[in-house]
Amino acid sequence: MNVYLLQIVNGIGLGMLYFLLAVGLSIVFGLLRFVNFAHGAFYLIGAYLAYQLVHWGVSFWLALAVAPLAIGVIAWLLEKALLRHVYDHPHEFHILITVGLALVIQEVVILIWGPIGDNVDVPSTLQGVVIWGSFIYPKYRLFVIGFTAIFALALWWILEGTRIGSAVRAGSESTETVSLLGINVFRILSLVFALGAATAALAGVLAAPIRGVDPFMGLEALSVAFVIVVVGGMGSFGGALIGGLLIGIIQSVMSTLWPQGAQLMIYVAMAAVLLLRPHGLMGRG
Amino acid sequence: MKALQRHRFLLLAAFATVLLPMVLRSGSLGTEVLIYGLAALGCNLLLGYTGLLSFGQGIFFGLGSYAVGILTTRAGLPVVPSVLLAIVTGAVAATLVGAFAIRQRGAYFVMLTLAFAQMFYFLAYSLPSLTGGDNGLLNVPTPSLGLLARLGIAPQSPWQFYTITAVVFLAVFWLLERVTTSVFGRTLLAIRDNEARALAIGYDTRHFKLAAFAISGAVTALAGAFHAMMTGIAPLSDIGYHTSEMILVMTVIGGTGNLFASLLGAAFYLLMSDWLSTLWPRWLLLLGLALIAVSLFLHQGLWGLGEKLAGLARGRRNPAGEHRA
Repeated sequence: MNVYLLQIVNGIGLGMLYFLLAVGLSIVFGLLRFVNFAHGAFYLIGAYLAYQLVHWGVSFWLALAVAPLAIGVIAWLLEKALLRHVYDHPHEFHILITVGLALVIQEVVILIWGPIGDNVDVPSTLQGVVIWGSFIYPKYRLFVIGFTAIFALALWWILEGTRIGSAVRAGSESTETVSLLGINVFRILSLVFALGAATAALAGVLAAPIRGVDPFMGLEALSVAFVIVVVGGMGSFGGALIGGLLIGIIQSVMSTLWPQGAQLMIYVAMAAVLLLRPHGLMGRG
Repeated sequence: MKALQRHRFLLLAAFATVLLPMVLRSGSLGTEVLIYGLAALGCNLLLGYTGLLSFGQGIFFGLGSYAVGILTTRAGLPVVPSVLLAIVTGAVAATLVGAFAIRQRGAYFVMLTLAFAQMFYFLAYSLPSLTGGDNGLLNVPTPSLGLLARLGIAPQSPWQFYTITAVVFLAVFWLLERVTTSVFGRTLLAIRDNEARALAIGYDTRHFKLAAFAISGAVTALAGAFHAMMTGIAPLSDIGYHTSEMILVMTVIGGTGNLFASLLGAAFYLLMSDWLSTLWPRWLLLLGLALIAVSLFLHQGLWGLGEKLAGLARGRRNPAGEHRA
């Protein structure tokens, strides 16, 4: 079968994971202009938590639910205990505190699981391939695409169809107006922050059987997430989706054409998008 | 007396360059403090004087390092022209990156500069024929001075390169002092405090920001060039995420808007890292906790803390003293 078609499907799967990774960052960013350098660390511990649970014999499916929930709770506590205290300070302190937090999380992971990565088994029901005529594809990767698509729909419904969602969208337009209307913006923010972290952790769990786990995967994820926010436009759900897919597909296709430069090309794509649309694909000026 | 007053920070920096060899046993650690001090100065010019928070300083540091590495080992150029060309490379790259980045503000700007830093990292990684890829460039020469050997400092001693670095550091410090106190520097401060107002008065703030970027890139590339000469290699890590992170963290820890604070930040970060790493292999955990503590409690940086303590001490002796400050 056509190798490019295969890489495009691979890219869609990767792009959907990138979307999960970036959407929380983008929305928190839209609400408070808060740059969270610890976002990749939530992806990291999500993956490791799933790795540990599977290692203990817990089913992957339970890990898929438990790990993101646990990370959501941890993030919710961290936001309340630490991050909230620096919102009023300049951006450099947002960076300092989240860089510090990311370092602490990364080192704790190394302390518990060691500096060398490991593989995570694909759940037994999803091992093997699907064959449709000439199209042969790993079951698990197909599952990732389907699952993330359903999850994205659910997330979109939360944002567009619920009261909390409309408060979030209004908040990214004007935080002041929303609080003047009697909505506790801080409570919304805690919730969104926790949800964003849980979504990143979910991306980590889903990625673990594909790429394995290692203590430095958080950092890699962080810079990709930033690129997607920049490409898609900050605070935009649709931007994170389109940006994630675009970057995922470019990276996948380029990895057959020029393996050494596949990572470089996603940044070249970013620069190209910025030349044409300085505020990102879906961003408003 | 007036000259002393005006150059008090330069004198303080000169004092520090003399003090470092007395308190440190390792010449290369001392040199590293000055090199990253230079890089932090470049970052401080952007953050403290222009209000631009750049997470991409590693780009210029790495380009300086590569430029010297490539020019000395591949093109066979002598050290001095190589370093000068490294500075030019840094300035040009900074102008280019700046032209993209300054179209955005605030947190978006931060993300853009980080994304560009990653872009340059992968560019260096993708061109192994030029940069040596993962291995970096080896055998970068370390310059030595015959004059210093006659003064009794052995040519192979790290202190000889320290002396060269110290002279360059102080020269740049003096230049930046002049830049920041000039009309140009005052305009940068005006942009930092209120860009809309500076625009309204009629300043083309874009050009000023780009100029600040170019100077910052030049200084940071110089630091990178010295780092390559000190270690003898131009490694991929010099252009990596951690270099950008380190330079920014040092600048913020030291305190922004004061040049000497940058040296303080670099010294604090490197000496603390050096000490912590002897305590525990997982010392980065402690560093992370320290960063969290600084961001919660030290919003003026170490320099601000020092000023506050000095103010308290003065206040106790002379209660009217605080009104002066």
